[in-house]
Amino acid sequence: MKELVDRVFLLNRATGRFEDADLYHGLDSTNLAHIEGRWRPLFELRRREAKASLQTLAEVNAEDAHWEWGKKALAALNDPFLFDFFVLECGGSTQAILMTRKGGQDCFSRHPEHQRLPLIYVEFLATAPWNRPKLVAEPTYKGAGRALVGTAVSLSLEEEFGGRIGLHSLPGAEVFYRDAIGMTDLGADSEGVHKGLRYFELSSRDAATFLSVQH
Amino acid sequence: MKRTMTLNLSDAEMSVLDAMCEEKGLSKTALVRQALRLYKSVDDRLARGEKVFVESADKSEKVELMVL
Repeated sequence: MKELVDRVFLLNRATGRFEDADLYHGLDSTNLAHIEGRWRPLFELRRREAKASLQTLAEVNAEDAHWEWGKKALAALNDPFLFDFFVLECGGSTQAILMTRKGGQDCFSRHPEHQRLPLIYVEFLATAPWNRPKLVAEPTYKGAGRALVGTAVSLSLEEEFGGRIGLHSLPGAEVFYRDAIGMTDLGADSEGVHKGLRYFELSSRDAATFLSVQH
Repeated sequence: MKRTMTLNLSDAEMSVLDAMCEEKGLSKTALVRQALRLYKSVDDRLARGEKVFVESADKSEKVELMVL
């Protein structure tokens, strides 16, 4: 159900050392068990704390706490023609998860440098709650989200899409995609299923820059 | 896992494939993959009873897209 495709490094913030992380194509019941048994309780705890202190979910970096990965996995497994799943494992836990789409109306570029060319659309990307600044006081691993963005770029290159990727960001993640990854902010959708969310794209040129930088 | 197949095309068909690959900057494999995804997405919509239309640039004409 999943296949090891690469090994990357994550910075353990507590020790200051890099650790090997396994990148898998696909996911299995172990990953879903990690998400339900380890991610969700932490999300729930912070959600309740945020509510009690009148903070928004964006302010505690937990806007995606309600995502149901089991349902998403089922949808992807039923349609491997369009969807791919990737998980990143390190330290005995699932550290991040990514679902991509490679066909359909979201898979065409809006970027002025190459409008209408095909791209990989990032349906969902999430890192484990214990890796998130603002959600926990001392995040564990750094680099999990960036590693999976790199995975989407690699998939785009493999599909001959020039490294182009696109996504709609939750408000709390906009700064990450814009400033940390270097994606272009193409504004909020005014209609459709992503109405109100800002659309970001990594152009072919920016993808090359992203891949050339040592992280 | 990826599989390999042999595709038999006429000269005319191969010319179109070559020209489109050149125009889109894609290999034959990538172009066929994209064409298959497009075909399937249209076919899925038609199977649900939806219709796909093509509109002229000046919006004066709109025709229904017919596929196999």
